[in-house]
Amino acid sequence: MGTTLVGSSPLFLQSGLVPRGSRIIVFESIFEVFLLLGTLVGVVVIGYMLYNAYKYRSGATKGDEEVGDRPVLGELPTGSGGGRKLATSFFMSMIIVVSLISWTYLTLLYVEEGPSADNSLDIEAEGYQFGWRFTYPNGHTTDGVLRIPAEQPVRLQVTSADVFHNFGIPELRVKTDAIPGQETETWFVANETGTYTAQCYELCGAGHSYMSAEVIVMPPDEYEEWYESTGNGSSESVSTENQTAFVEARPA
Amino acid sequence: MSDTDPERTDGGTEVGSEVVAGGHEDDHDHGHDFPGTGSIKRWFVTTNHKDVGILYIVTSLFFLVLGGVLAWLMRIQLWAPRAPGETILAPVAYNQAVSAHGLLMVFWFLSPFAFGFANYIVPLQLGAKDLAFPRLNALSYWLYLFSGILFGVSFFQGGTFSGGWTMYAPLNVPTFTPDVGASTAVLALVLFVASVTVSSVNFLTTMHRMRAEGLTLRNMPLFSWTILLTVWMMLFAFAALLAALMVLSADRLLGTTYFAMESPAGALLWTHLFWFFGHPEVYIVFFPALGVMAEVFQTFTGRRIVGRKWFIIAMVLVAIQSFVVWMHHMFLTSINLQVKTLFMITTIGISLPFDLMVFALIYTMLKGKIRFTTPFLFVFGALLLFIIGGITGVFLGAVVLDYEFRGTYWVVAHFHYVMVGGVTALVGGLYYWFPKITGRMYDEFLGKVHFAAYFVGFNLLYFPLFVAWETPRRVFDYAPELAPWHQLATIGGFVLGLSFLIMFYNLFKSAFTGDPVSDNPWEYATTAEWAVSSPPPLENFEGTPTYRDGHLSFILDRESDVTGGATAADGSGGATAGGGVATSPHTAVTTEYEPTVEATEVEGPSHASIWPFVLSLGAFLILLGISPLQDAAFPEGMMGAAYATTAVAGFGVTLGSLIAMGLEPFHGPVFDEGEAWPFSGIDNGKVGMWIFLASDVVLFGGFLGAYIFTRFAFGWTGWQPVPDDPIPGLVNTYILLTSSFTVVLALVAAEKKHKLGLVTSLGATFVLGIGFLVNKALEWQHLFHEGLWLSTNVRTSTFFLTTGLHAAHVIAGLIIALYLTARAWRGAYLEDNRSVEYFGLYWHFVDIVWLFLFPLFYIL
Amino acid sequence: MVSTKFYTAIYVVLFVSATVQVLVEFAGLAYWTAFGIIMVLSAAKAVLVAAYFQHLRWEPRSLTYLVGIGLVAALALTVAASYSLL
Repeated sequence: MGTTLVGSSPLFLQSGLVPRGSRIIVFESIFEVFLLLGTLVGVVVIGYMLYNAYKYRSGATKGDEEVGDRPVLGELPTGSGGGRKLATSFFMSMIIVVSLISWTYLTLLYVEEGPSADNSLDIEAEGYQFGWRFTYPNGHTTDGVLRIPAEQPVRLQVTSADVFHNFGIPELRVKTDAIPGQETETWFVANETGTYTAQCYELCGAGHSYMSAEVIVMPPDEYEEWYESTGNGSSESVSTENQTAFVEARPA
Repeated sequence: MSDTDPERTDGGTEVGSEVVAGGHEDDHDHGHDFPGTGSIKRWFVTTNHKDVGILYIVTSLFFLVLGGVLAWLMRIQLWAPRAPGETILAPVAYNQAVSAHGLLMVFWFLSPFAFGFANYIVPLQLGAKDLAFPRLNALSYWLYLFSGILFGVSFFQGGTFSGGWTMYAPLNVPTFTPDVGASTAVLALVLFVASVTVSSVNFLTTMHRMRAEGLTLRNMPLFSWTILLTVWMMLFAFAALLAALMVLSADRLLGTTYFAMESPAGALLWTHLFWFFGHPEVYIVFFPALGVMAEVFQTFTGRRIVGRKWFIIAMVLVAIQSFVVWMHHMFLTSINLQVKTLFMITTIGISLPFDLMVFALIYTMLKGKIRFTTPFLFVFGALLLFIIGGITGVFLGAVVLDYEFRGTYWVVAHFHYVMVGGVTALVGGLYYWFPKITGRMYDEFLGKVHFAAYFVGFNLLYFPLFVAWETPRRVFDYAPELAPWHQLATIGGFVLGLSFLIMFYNLFKSAFTGDPVSDNPWEYATTAEWAVSSPPPLENFEGTPTYRDGHLSFILDRESDVTGGATAADGSGGATAGGGVATSPHTAVTTEYEPTVEATEVEGPSHASIWPFVLSLGAFLILLGISPLQDAAFPEGMMGAAYATTAVAGFGVTLGSLIAMGLEPFHGPVFDEGEAWPFSGIDNGKVGMWIFLASDVVLFGGFLGAYIFTRFAFGWTGWQPVPDDPIPGLVNTYILLTSSFTVVLALVAAEKKHKLGLVTSLGATFVLGIGFLVNKALEWQHLFHEGLWLSTNVRTSTFFLTTGLHAAHVIAGLIIALYLTARAWRGAYLEDNRSVEYFGLYWHFVDIVWLFLFPLFYIL
Repeated sequence: MVSTKFYTAIYVVLFVSATVQVLVEFAGLAYWTAFGIIMVLSAAKAVLVAAYFQHLRWEPRSLTYLVGIGLVAALALTVAASYSLL
């Protein structure tokens, strides 16, 4: 786990603070911190709010008479005091938010840099209504199934043949837009062999709900064997029942 | 109203005020030649801001129900994962429900609901008798209503738009969504934007120009502040949306290819144009809710808001920054890392002011005397929901997390917590102002029951969506293990929706049989709407409101013996403002008495006008008529002929009602200028015209931006201008410059009261404009012969559409010029030449636009 | 207000400047040089029309700022969107 994908990372990326490794690790570790802090802040703030709403409910405050300065109809609006408390809370929240985001920004740089070209596998993915086509470096194309080796970083160049789609493999925490006329890049690495599902994350028409592809993560040697058997121009198609159901919806 | 309710401290005054409320209705509701409120006709001809406010509120609630039913359909579909063939709604029907739900809720419910309050309350808070342009206000409403009807029609034209409320390209073009209804939905949005633009101009003019003396911007109540900022954002954001929608309409109806899948970066162009509007829209929708929160918090905690100045500064910052965060909706597109970084920073920057606002509201409760009435419960709940929405939004601000949340239910849950959180506050506002609007109190018990059901339903509906966030958006075949969460959400959806039945019942019944209320049923309310009767008289105030002594008082007119206008407590006593005002409606307690002011105000001309309604009907017919166009051609046969006839008839109705409106004697409210920063001393009409032109700058900016962006993506220098010869364009530049000059001469002649000079100059302008169009027609004819057409490629699309939009501006200008020439011929404008001046401002603007179009499309 | 003569002078300047714009194009300058000159001339003409024909010169400055805000918004959209493509 946690194989260093980027050989030439700047120093701050090599410190333990910034999560590195597969995108699953990156996402899970950041999400966890956010969830924890978010819940904490939410509970504290909402708790404080409820407590004060109860404490200062009408008829409950003994000192009510002391605070005689209540708003009066027709007065020009002014504010109450308490600016110091407001400023303190504001700066506290600012520090939390800004430091959280800065921390994730370092991870963003790591994610954006991606794995180096020489140890990764480049695959082109193209979305269409309603499925995914993949093209391997040797020209082999597959439709509806993406075979990749475990442990090796995969770099995807994603585009679309028709409308705006979005390619995502939720379990591997990879996602990018598939835009006609544009190419986006993303990367991921699968450490566990098995079968995953890629899905479309942008509304793209009648078959959107069923626009998926199989992602088969193979042991590296098996993958090598399979890849040797393919060649320029060969192709393979896994047409699921889902895709054929919407084939008539495709424009000519 | 139950007698045992401890939170009502001023119950004793209610009986007395019943007579007052009834009396006001009889005395004041028939002014301005309006039929009584009981008459149906009244509601078609009214231009009064309070009537229009009520119309907005009622209509928007209707669209809430419609959008809600669509949401129910979706939630039913989502009860379980649906494999192909096992769906309840067909996939396309589901997509239509998703899209229509979003569009209806965001456009036809949320903003108009808030603007119902804005219409009703803001002039009262400002101390104005009405908005600056009452007929335009009625026009805004009718355009809004007819745009909604047009959207409704789209369901019956082969199905409405099914590409999501974000309408991403190129799914939004007929290649992929060929139904006529999809075009109609887009046109309905165009009509809606027209309504918003008219409304923005009106509100901005009113709010900047017509504040009572002493009510500087700094002193403006917070609800008015939120509306002011909302309207500013609307003015520019909706102009950008209008550009996007007009281009989209052209793609759908005329066959241009901006967003076609072959177009370079067409899909990206849409995302830029849409989100440039779309992000300010989030705050456009939320700010009024924030304003309601601030007002209701202050009233029911009995405390002035903490850090008021910072609260306002925070809002202003958000309003400005909202225009530089749009690309955070595009983090996974092909935009570069530098831009991502920039927009991540601006996004975090815009979230921080909200922290401050939330804390300010919370701290306002401290040392308060909090009364948990229905409005407060809703607003308190809204703040709670907004906190959750805000925290989950910070997750999305972290780009690495956004990468994974993109397109999932995390986004759905987050923005529903924010947006529907806003609705929660607005519902609180509805309860808060209901007694002011109807003069009767709602049933407090039922109100609390509504809140309980609403709040439980809300969280049952949206919280599970966070848990089930791995569900992709707009997908109904999700992972089976998420089904229980979706079932909870569906149940919550029904609880939330049904809770509104309690409200409808409560408010409908109370509007007729509720306990009559005093002027100020809420103790500690401070704003001016509570200083007049409930409901307020037709012209809002008896006497001129002023704050020059640091508190509200009224300058009474000597000749009027009606002194019923409420006078604020004098500020030193202040303990029983609510009761005090209510019990003294017939006592002439005035702190100020200035006999000369406005003593000679004469009975103005009628303020009833049917033309806003007719004009909107005409616009509706035009758009309905052109909806089946494809590649600029009507369908064959009877159907096509019927549509074409509808469009022509609509054009006739529109033109006729425009002329009728021009000829109708009508003046905006008479007022003495109080606070008018930064437009003091400039006529309302001129300010309105300039504000409109500023939005037109953004409209053309959107078109030019689209052109530059597309050309940039294509390769700037590889793109040749469409006309091979710049000379016709140069000739047109000469013609337009000359016509601008003749308009200047016309104004000079009018100032010199030189009738012949005025008529000649205006006539010359008209002739020159015709010359411009003829020259353009010849040029286009030539290009058509060369085989170049709007749909030939994106290069010709941008050329014909952008210069075509400009030509449309010229045509509109010529219609006005012709009208002015005819009126001038009969002797008009010599005494009051403002119409000529305003027309000139518009015409010169059209000239200026051409000064940029000419080099960009002809020579570079 | 200013005299008709003054307005006529402005008009003549505008007319000549439009002519110069096209002459620049035919002068055979480098593309981006010509581009710069032509756009500056357009902007100058626009300023003249706005300042004198639309009287902004004599109005409170707030009206100028109002239009300026619209202009800045449109420019922000265009520049940032185009830059994002790089």
